[in-house]
Amino acid sequence: MTTPFILGEALTLGLASGPACMASCGPVLVPSLLAERAGLRRNAGFLSAFLAARFLGYLLFAAVAWGLGVLVSLPPAPRLLLFGVVHVLLAGALLWYAYSATHACAQSCAGSELVSISVTKKRGVPGAAVLGFLTGVSLCPPFVAAGVRAAGLGSVAAALLFFALFFVGTTVWFVPFVGMGCVARNEAVTTVARMAMVLIAIYYAYLGLAMLMGRRVYGY
Amino acid sequence: MATKARTPKAAAMAPRTIGRSLLLTLPIAFWSLLMFANPQRHSNRAPQIASLITAVFMIVLFFMMMRTGNTYRWRRWFFVALGILFPVGFIHTVMVMRGTMGLPIEEMIAGRTPFCYLPIPLLILPAAFTKSLVFPGSILPSGGMSGAGMAGMAGLWLAVTLVLGKGWCSYACFFGGIEEGMASVPPRAKLRKIDPRWRYGPWAVLLAMVLLSLALFEPAYCMWLCPFKAVSEYVAARNTVGMVQNGIFVVLFAGLVIALPLLTKKRTQCAFFCPFGAFQSIFNKTSVFDVKIDRTRCSPCLLCKTACPTMSLTDESIVRGETLMSCMKCGACVDACPKQAVVWHIKGTEVAGKPERARLLFLYAAWAMAVMFGGSIIAEGLATILHVFV
Repeated sequence: MTTPFILGEALTLGLASGPACMASCGPVLVPSLLAERAGLRRNAGFLSAFLAARFLGYLLFAAVAWGLGVLVSLPPAPRLLLFGVVHVLLAGALLWYAYSATHACAQSCAGSELVSISVTKKRGVPGAAVLGFLTGVSLCPPFVAAGVRAAGLGSVAAALLFFALFFVGTTVWFVPFVGMGCVARNEAVTTVARMAMVLIAIYYAYLGLAMLMGRRVYGY
Repeated sequence: MATKARTPKAAAMAPRTIGRSLLLTLPIAFWSLLMFANPQRHSNRAPQIASLITAVFMIVLFFMMMRTGNTYRWRRWFFVALGILFPVGFIHTVMVMRGTMGLPIEEMIAGRTPFCYLPIPLLILPAAFTKSLVFPGSILPSGGMSGAGMAGMAGLWLAVTLVLGKGWCSYACFFGGIEEGMASVPPRAKLRKIDPRWRYGPWAVLLAMVLLSLALFEPAYCMWLCPFKAVSEYVAARNTVGMVQNGIFVVLFAGLVIALPLLTKKRTQCAFFCPFGAFQSIFNKTSVFDVKIDRTRCSPCLLCKTACPTMSLTDESIVRGETLMSCMKCGACVDACPKQAVVWHIKGTEVAGKPERARLLFLYAAWAMAVMFGGSIIAEGLATILHVFV
């Protein structure tokens, strides 16, 4: 039975795990925010889409895992396969994002139309949502901690509620990222962000391929 | 290393007299002798001979800077010697202490990994969030395998950096000399058209490595991208990951430190890749020294732009009369200018004021540190070589 105490625990666990969540999502979130156009509202929109999709990824993963009865005991081989695919997809999304920004830059002016794949842009490709969803299902350490606790609850609804409050707790730590909208955008900032995305994508691709080849890396 | 033909044109400043040059060299001479005087008697004379050679080397180079008015040309001898002799001394030390250049996981767990300054920017965020250092070394000033703990190295770096700014990269970095030497080999660049956007590379590597270091809780640059692992200590490759890491180190070293400097005559690793260099650029804002262009004298012939080894001068920056923040204060542009329009400068003073005084003040600070830090590394490398013969 879900008690207010358990729900408070979920929120507290989220607040306590926030820095780790921030560190896990930072390599994806920071460059993609910097590649966006400047402005608090625009960055807040991007961040909202990212977090909403990440939340969806959390819930989906929790529900599927609960349904299969393997929330915390997914066997090593399929786990590596699953997270290998997720990491390769994440690398692909980052590369696509970096390329798309370059493409947009080449076809328009240097400042205002640099990036065109966020949810608020006219191309309508939900770049932020894709990145958020993929980071949501990539099983970061705080997610595992929440999963272990949620697995002990009586029903899938209670587990999902636990995850939702856990997510709210972690989200507090992401709010300062909106402040990146105040960083002035010019060719230097967006180019640095795109180059960083490529580097990070290469790293995720390596991780993904290593996992697909059956090698355990960094606790997965 | 023929330096004369490669500098576009020597500075037009009239040489000082020998007496005045000697007088200006005296403080550095005293400092050098103080640094390298070794009253202890050893059975092996190699360290004493190496110290003496180093002291004379540093004093002569400073004297020539004073006598000729050229900075880059003479500094380069020191810097290349530092770049070549650092691996000699370092590899010798790790071989004696550890028996291999490979860094095994046991050494990391024991906190005996030698610390250099390159990971400093990667440690800040993890330390801020967790109050712990994501480097498997000792924080004690005398800690670590080579006696260079994090506290000692970080303290030295901070003190020097606040004064010299990115001058660290031209007077202290024990890695940049190899590529500067490579860049000085060909008479002219074979690859001249370089997309200026590559200048943002160090910032991108810095951003990516800072974020990954925080996420992975390890100094990601040291683990994956440092080209100089190829000539210092590699990962003891006991599995595929280690092989991949070492492969990356070797490829980056061969490309950025050997091949591209030969083709472009630029310090390509420093200019397009080094995250520490990008971090160091920020401290050009705190340093009182910079390089300016006196617009009343500038033609502009763009010789300074061609001479700059890090592409820190652009047409726009020349019009503004300043270098970009990535300027390493190596002096190449100052030496290249036929009209003495590119000058050393102290912030808050007039550009056309007393550039030679600014140069002297900068060089005293930079060379004193070069003697103490780089000089001791050169002496150690020399002693290692001399040990074979003496």
